[in-house]
Amino acid sequence: MTDEKSSSGAASEADGSSAPAAVSPKATVARVPAAKPAQATSQGAEITRRGLFSWAAVGWVGFTAAIGGCMTAFGRFMFPNVLFEPPTSFKVGNTEDFPPGVVDERFKEANGVWIVNNEGRLTALIAICTHLGCPPAWLEAQNKFKCPCHGSGYYKNGINFEGPTPRPLERAKISIDPDDGQILVDKSQKYLWEQGQWDDPSSFIEVS
Amino acid sequence: MLDENFRSVVAKPDNVPIVMMVYLAGYFWWLAMYKAIKNDESTENGAPTFEKSESEDKVFTWPDLVFSELICMVVLTVGMVVWSIVLKAPLEEPANLSVAPNPSKAPWYFLGLQEMLVYFDPWMAGVVLPGLIIVGLMAIPYIDTNPRGNGYYTFKERKTEIVLFLFGYIVLWVQLIVIGTFLRGPNWNFFGPYEFWDINKIEPLVNIDLSEIIWIKMLGVGLPSHWLPREIFGILLMIGYFIVLPVALTKVKYFKRFYDEMGGARYYTGITLFLTMMLLPIKMFARWIFNLKYIVHIQEFFFNI
Amino acid sequence: MQQLKDLQKAIVKSQIWKSIFRVGIPTDNRKRALATLGNVVLHLHPIKVKKSGLRMSYTWCMGGTSFFLFLVETITGLLLMFYYRPTVEYAYFDMVDLREVVAFGIMRELHRWAAHAMVIAVWLHMFRVFMTGSYKPPREFNWNVGVILLVLTLLLSFTGYLLPWDQLAIWAITVGSNMARATPLLGHEGPGAAFLTLGGEKLIHVGSDARFGLIAGRTIGGGTLIRFYVLHCLGIPFVAACLMAVHFWRVRKDGGISGPV
Repeated sequence: MTDEKSSSGAASEADGSSAPAAVSPKATVARVPAAKPAQATSQGAEITRRGLFSWAAVGWVGFTAAIGGCMTAFGRFMFPNVLFEPPTSFKVGNTEDFPPGVVDERFKEANGVWIVNNEGRLTALIAICTHLGCPPAWLEAQNKFKCPCHGSGYYKNGINFEGPTPRPLERAKISIDPDDGQILVDKSQKYLWEQGQWDDPSSFIEVS
Repeated sequence: MLDENFRSVVAKPDNVPIVMMVYLAGYFWWLAMYKAIKNDESTENGAPTFEKSESEDKVFTWPDLVFSELICMVVLTVGMVVWSIVLKAPLEEPANLSVAPNPSKAPWYFLGLQEMLVYFDPWMAGVVLPGLIIVGLMAIPYIDTNPRGNGYYTFKERKTEIVLFLFGYIVLWVQLIVIGTFLRGPNWNFFGPYEFWDINKIEPLVNIDLSEIIWIKMLGVGLPSHWLPREIFGILLMIGYFIVLPVALTKVKYFKRFYDEMGGARYYTGITLFLTMMLLPIKMFARWIFNLKYIVHIQEFFFNI
Repeated sequence: MQQLKDLQKAIVKSQIWKSIFRVGIPTDNRKRALATLGNVVLHLHPIKVKKSGLRMSYTWCMGGTSFFLFLVETITGLLLMFYYRPTVEYAYFDMVDLREVVAFGIMRELHRWAAHAMVIAVWLHMFRVFMTGSYKPPREFNWNVGVILLVLTLLLSFTGYLLPWDQLAIWAITVGSNMARATPLLGHEGPGAAFLTLGGEKLIHVGSDARFGLIAGRTIGGGTLIRFYVLHCLGIPFVAACLMAVHFWRVRKDGGISGPV
């Protein structure tokens, strides 16, 4: 286990405010003008009333903003900035280690990817079922990935063909490290078939 | 119980509560209906209901209530201790995120929801429908304007409410839990009660979307590339089901009575919740009969119904 | 025999005994009322109850059973907390110890089976309340409190399910928590989440969505364990206990056990 600083979404924003914070004060500000005319048009003792009203409005806005701020802080507190998870990028060896047509399961346990050499392309398939996140198993005899949880099935190239899964498996970024010629897999970059990203050159390595 | 495969599923320590629940739910269902029908009989003869005839006289909490509570507690405690001695709590291998047991099942009280996952996408079965179950339960007292049947068992005076609730409670909730527990084996395939849970059982899955049925099978042309024309039939079907149908039903005599009694807001809230509940059995039958996978399938936004 | 009787009399007549048990064994109606009034636990109840509400065939005793099982869970859970450490290194082996080397090793069984029984009891209680129409005015609000308590019961059970840290636990929670990925707008695989962007950056991704907030990481791990542990032992029981107080209070205020109006 290595410590890894991951920039979670809320943390990576410049101003540090997340979406809910932006919403709650706005909502209260919008409430003030709506309430004002109804009071201001009433007859008699306008000034004191209006004075009283505006203070009440300020009070309410302040109160709502404070509560909203506290709630946002609570919510933000639940999102850790530093995770103690295995690193997302790692090296798996040289291209010669992966003969054509073979699904390599050596890195599934530690890093959660299969290295698949299929149709002249070396890809890193992420071993997470796109249905509900169980790890599928590679069934060599039936030439398919099969998920134990709900029975989703995928071909060797990761395309789904049976079960409840809505979409194919995802590919991780795969590249040749220029320093030592080893294959570098980066799981933080994902390539989705249905978004047309499997044609992206970073999602595979050409092997002959 | 003599069959080995049957026993291996039913006698799992974690499944024992469900066997209990099936018997308890069945018994109490019978009991409630029995008391309701007896009450209905006596009101037909002009006599007061059983509860009414007893609700006038009051008894002291001490000793009557306190002692029956004490007896209940003692019986429960003894029952719990015996159960705990007889059945060991399950403990499997240490957690390992790279080896998934087959089948992976949620805790038993969520297996009804997990069974829904076969028919709906996670955002529907895991978020929207459970949320609407809770909202729907909370809405019951505000939608049900029938003043009768308050505080006593009756069927005659509350037929619609009771039938609807029993359908949701017994048929959709309890029964789906039973199916998910006893009849779903490896790969979440369906297994009969005496069948061996074969891990290599092959289930041919030939589910197709509504858009494929219409564009390819019926019209004989390919799928349009843009999602809107491709899914237009499914979208129209959903709009018709959730928006046109409730309005159209107000013209039907049976539903018009509810509309007049409850008013618009209650009627439309209630009917929307009812139609959402009925979406599940409808989709199940569509899956079994037409092998329908999705009614609307817009994978561009993960929006699949 | 006579000496025993004398001894009993001496104890019951002593100042200590009388200061604790003010009434003694009630023999007349006034004392029966005082016995209920003068006891903090018993005064949950009214002095007198409708005979129809006493019938087991009417109430099925399920509300009381739910509450009693909640108390069983509290006591056994507290005892388990003396031995259990919610970390990835220790959790599983503490479970093994609880089973193998701790005296009265059925505590874990008691806790688990009472939890399952409580879920069933709460469901049956809801079933009874529906069948007797006891959610109708003036009890609408209390039905709502009850529905929230039912959800909290399921959440208590669900958060506790992870704590043994075995295969059963971790995969049940994986399947369960992955639903949060698909929350509309708030899950990175839910419908509509792709539209929430800020300057080309996705706001909702695997490291910032609802599931991440729930399990404190991109995968289930030590963060999830401690989070669920706190929710299971402190957070949810506290909320549930407060709501139970409201629930029982409203039962009294809405006219006791429901009966025909």
